[in-house]
Amino acid sequence: MAEASANSPAVLHGRHDFPEISGRIGSIVLNGRLPRHFWTAFFLCFLLVLLLLYSITYLIAVGVGGLGINMPVVWGTMISNFVWWIGIGHAGTLISAVLLLLRQPWRASINRFAEAMTLFAVAMAGLFPILHLGRPWFFYWLLPLPNVHMHWPQWRSPLVWDFAAIATYATVSLLFWYMGLLPDLAVLRDRARSRPAQLFYGILALGWRGSAFHWARYQTVYFLLAALATPLVVSVHSIVSLDFTFAITPGYHSTIFPPYFVAGALLSGFAMVLTIAIPLRWAFSVKDLITLRHMDNAAKLMIAAGMVVAYGYVSEAFFAWYSGAPYERAMMVQRAVGPYAPLFWTMLSLNCGVLQLLWFRRIRRNMPLLFAIAVAINVGMWIERYIIVVTGPSRDYLPTSWGEQSLTWLDFGILFGSIGTFFALVFLFIRILPAITIFEVEELAEEEGKLR
Amino acid sequence: MSLYGLMAVFAEPEALIEAARGMRERGYRRMDAFSPFPMKELDGILEIPKTRLPWVVLAGGIAGAVLVYALVWYSVEIDYPVNVGGRPLHSWPPFVVIAFEAGILGAAFAGFLGVLAANGLPRYHHPVFNAESFSYARGGKFYLLIEATDPKYRKGVTRGQLTRLGAELVEEIEA
Repeated sequence: MAEASANSPAVLHGRHDFPEISGRIGSIVLNGRLPRHFWTAFFLCFLLVLLLLYSITYLIAVGVGGLGINMPVVWGTMISNFVWWIGIGHAGTLISAVLLLLRQPWRASINRFAEAMTLFAVAMAGLFPILHLGRPWFFYWLLPLPNVHMHWPQWRSPLVWDFAAIATYATVSLLFWYMGLLPDLAVLRDRARSRPAQLFYGILALGWRGSAFHWARYQTVYFLLAALATPLVVSVHSIVSLDFTFAITPGYHSTIFPPYFVAGALLSGFAMVLTIAIPLRWAFSVKDLITLRHMDNAAKLMIAAGMVVAYGYVSEAFFAWYSGAPYERAMMVQRAVGPYAPLFWTMLSLNCGVLQLLWFRRIRRNMPLLFAIAVAINVGMWIERYIIVVTGPSRDYLPTSWGEQSLTWLDFGILFGSIGTFFALVFLFIRILPAITIFEVEELAEEEGKLR
Repeated sequence: MSLYGLMAVFAEPEALIEAARGMRERGYRRMDAFSPFPMKELDGILEIPKTRLPWVVLAGGIAGAVLVYALVWYSVEIDYPVNVGGRPLHSWPPFVVIAFEAGILGAAFAGFLGVLAANGLPRYHHPVFNAESFSYARGGKFYLLIEATDPKYRKGVTRGQLTRLGAELVEEIEA
């Protein structure tokens, strides 16, 4: 890759040897001596976990009326949170699977935590449609199970497709992640000194011994899983977007949604990768393994995805006008000047305005600034999903059925609770599993001749 | 306790490849190599057969898609036909969506379980773990195993050859 990036920073910095790489990455987990601010941050996240548990309990006890949703806008933050989290998950799969297929060496040191991010984001996303059901304890009716009602799910409904897509995505992500972990778990098994750690990693490693025969099969199947995950990502978010295209409500009836949602997913996902990676590389001093090159490339992918999203905004508005349908046009106008106008313009200024700063290399390589931009994009993308969910139903065909919804403490309790839970899971992951893929970084060091 | 083989330890990946090639030229066939990361060069030297797992993955994908499509078809045509305004019961386009997801799921499970089964994992113990030197603990050494069942195997001779090929250490492994 050296020729492709004559003036860009190297993927790995400095020279390394194998004991150093596996020792450094492994010791984060095995010594367990994590800096004090790690545990402080974990404690703050844990408070948010408690908030999530309280909010969910309240929601189930009181009912969905506790949220701000009301007729006619009965889809609210539960749905926008769901789309937001699922989108964040997609960048993780993209980094680990697509970049593996394209044989991009820069993925090696960030793919593990990107995959972990996918898993935890999907876990969070999965909560919301269930909480939104009103009677969450009946969610299993979406499954084709023999039940006392003697009936089947409605196969023609996007909600049932959604269930199939999310369940598949979560399972395949877990398999792909675990398969990538196997060789590293074997490293931890052998490096562990305490008996409980040896047992824990030993059982998880399934007896991996690094035989050349095993590696050959392993690599073939790992590539195949990556090749399966790539169309899966596209299909999952397309199916999510179909929830918003199968109705006839203005704003819920557009064929642009599948590609536009997929691009939005990548934009918010890469923003979340940066939001996690920038503090991670600072806090654990792995700046020579997760280098400026990674940050720079992620920022470039953000702007690429962001421009597609901007194109999505433009074409959504254009086709509302070009359709000639007065209701579609009225909905677009109301989106820009109606009750949700402040949110709409905030969204545009964050997702299309602030994003443009990333064209400048000096900004892409300024970590505090890049972090701020990534957080701003995360906020902007959440607002985007909220706008899509609420503006359509709020401006229905008849002005008599127009109405808005409010946001209550419960909406925010569940949103921030889920963010805290996500980060708490990321912290636990950093504590108990290697956050950087040991074997791939070693392979990279070998190929690049960066060995002492 | 019978002898399982000889384990030679190398510090560098190049040394392992060199040694594996050397031992092959001397006629050894029952060999295995162990490394902390995959090494493509070993595939030819150790005559690692091309894996049939891609076919397993394909079969898993087809099985998943077909089974779920059949389930949907059975439910709408036979078990619970509901005539909604004369629309066809077997309205296939929406069913393809679920069948596609099921196909991916089937393929992923086939791949994951297939690679474990083909590699004989999970496995509680294996003779190579009896070697004192065999461990990732000191961070990525490279190992060459000559099995005692190899027709060319002669205790002293093989050990000498491995040492001459640059092994840091040669160890006997009990089965």
